[in-house]
Amino acid sequence: MPNIRYANMCHWKAIPYRQIENFRDFYYEDKTNTAYYSDWDRILKYQAALGFDGIEIAPWDLSDILPLFGSPENFAAFAKDRGVEVIGMFHGAHASHDAGHEEEAIRAGREAVDTIVKFGGSYMNTCPTQNYCGTGPLSHEEVQQCAKVMNAIGEYATDNGVKIGLHNEFFCAINLPNHRQLIETTDPRYVHYCLDTAQVAILGEDILTFYKDYHDRISTFHLKDTASAFQPDSVRYSRDPEITDDGTRWFWEPGLGELDLEGLYRLLKEHEFKGWMSIEYDGSPDMLASMALTRFHLDTVLRPIYD
Amino acid sequence: MNSDRIAISLDLINRHYQEPNRNRFESKYFWEELYPLIRASGFRSIEIPYEPVWQFGGRSGVPMNRYCINTKYESAANYRTVLADAGIDRVTGVTFDPNLFMRNDNLDFFFGASGHFAGEALAHAADLGADYFAISPSPFYGRAAHYHPDLEAKRETFAARTTDLLGGLAEKAAASGVTLVLRNEYWSLFRGEQILSLLDALPDGVKLDIDAATLTIAGIDPKPFIEAHQARIGCVHLTDTDFVDADETWKTANPEFPAARATQVFRDPGTGSVDLAGIVSLLDRLGYQGPVVASARQTRDPFRALLRTRALLNQFAN
Repeated sequence: MPNIRYANMCHWKAIPYRQIENFRDFYYEDKTNTAYYSDWDRILKYQAALGFDGIEIAPWDLSDILPLFGSPENFAAFAKDRGVEVIGMFHGAHASHDAGHEEEAIRAGREAVDTIVKFGGSYMNTCPTQNYCGTGPLSHEEVQQCAKVMNAIGEYATDNGVKIGLHNEFFCAINLPNHRQLIETTDPRYVHYCLDTAQVAILGEDILTFYKDYHDRISTFHLKDTASAFQPDSVRYSRDPEITDDGTRWFWEPGLGELDLEGLYRLLKEHEFKGWMSIEYDGSPDMLASMALTRFHLDTVLRPIYD
Repeated sequence: MNSDRIAISLDLINRHYQEPNRNRFESKYFWEELYPLIRASGFRSIEIPYEPVWQFGGRSGVPMNRYCINTKYESAANYRTVLADAGIDRVTGVTFDPNLFMRNDNLDFFFGASGHFAGEALAHAADLGADYFAISPSPFYGRAAHYHPDLEAKRETFAARTTDLLGGLAEKAAASGVTLVLRNEYWSLFRGEQILSLLDALPDGVKLDIDAATLTIAGIDPKPFIEAHQARIGCVHLTDTDFVDADETWKTANPEFPAARATQVFRDPGTGSVDLAGIVSLLDRLGYQGPVVASARQTRDPFRALLRTRALLNQFAN
């Protein structure tokens, strides 16, 4: 068993079919590549073929996946038949900084944990609260409140065999001035960290320094590259910066940006990281091409350093 | 019918399903390039499918909801100016379906969220000066049945609560000068002629949306239906299909994508078997003066679909 296993954070958008049984008929009707992106059977096979034998579910897909498959267990079995296991799910802990929403935020987090357990997953990467614009800056008390909610969700998750990992976005109300404060206020027994390399770099952290400081809290990764590290407050605090007006991409496939991912892999080796690493392609115009490019970079550059 | 008055629905852009380059549809630049292309395809008016989920995702600048428009253009009026500068004179209508909110076994959640966002969408339609606000009165039957296995037992409750929701919207619509119209999808709890009992329970100002393809799939010939209910028509969708629902696809979780058949239900106007020319001719004969919208829903190629639709309309008597 390798030290690192690779998963794909699911950004495939809605997939309308479980399996296209009549593929040739489908193809011949419109003679486009649409069929190749329309069923879970093929999507999961691409993953397995390219060595991504885990998938992290996106919560915004649940309302489509569940009626299509009938249950989380059915989806997990379908994926497992194709060599892919569900490792967990993303979760947004909306308004967890707000004491008035404490009960609701904890309940929603616990329900997400229950869903992950049904899928057979064991990770919940959790965005601690919503965007900075309209919410920030958070007071010391609000950061404390956010940590309180994370601890409560994390304790429930731990009791159910799930690790929650804080996952910050560069435009969130938990931002450069309070990012480390939140981590250090949470209970390390229950709350871990999902290092999204590009998000943290855009936020303004040096990823190697960050990993050295918090390697014992890292439960998993969202590995992606960026050519836009260290953005100023004016960008990070602006309204809706994630999807840019002009098509500028924040996120690139490993090796196509400027992050020192080789340095990160040397640190992973030094600290003997073992576990799952999700690759994330939000912003990619072609998920399959991104997966293939990532696999090439992993096999030729990163995995020879440490795997 | 003068084809200048026929709008094109922005449902020709894939908002939900995966394909290479799909993500560009979520950025402002794509739409601002598209508007002049729509005009170049001979359309002067558009229909906007309201997309509540994009309010949460920061996809500002796309025209699919009020938040996205106000964030980047400050007001609907400014957005209309952008459209006008691109040669688009009018937003004819806004559509809304509540499918997103059928996601658990809590009907209070479904009707609460649907009512709230339908209200937002209706206000958006009013801000844009639209003629109509077209609402799907039901989510996919199959999706509802997944979360509510006792859906048939709840049918009366569902109908009563839908009527309440629509009644409230009808009042708001009347006050804002927008016509509320009911969509009649073949996957609906109110499919086919069942839409009529819903309509009967609502004020006279609420009208029918005649969707040619979806009526056909539900087993209703659109032309006699139009003739029979001509006084109650609020808008007409020129949609096309070759699909025959032999396996009760309408009851499945994803009825726009029939599991047992090849590809899509809807086809680009003119490439299916619905007599769209005959429907337009009938509307002329009946003296129908309301909104007419061409829709290439689920198209594989939006730019080709724009031109295919124009090529079809060019064949109609003008």
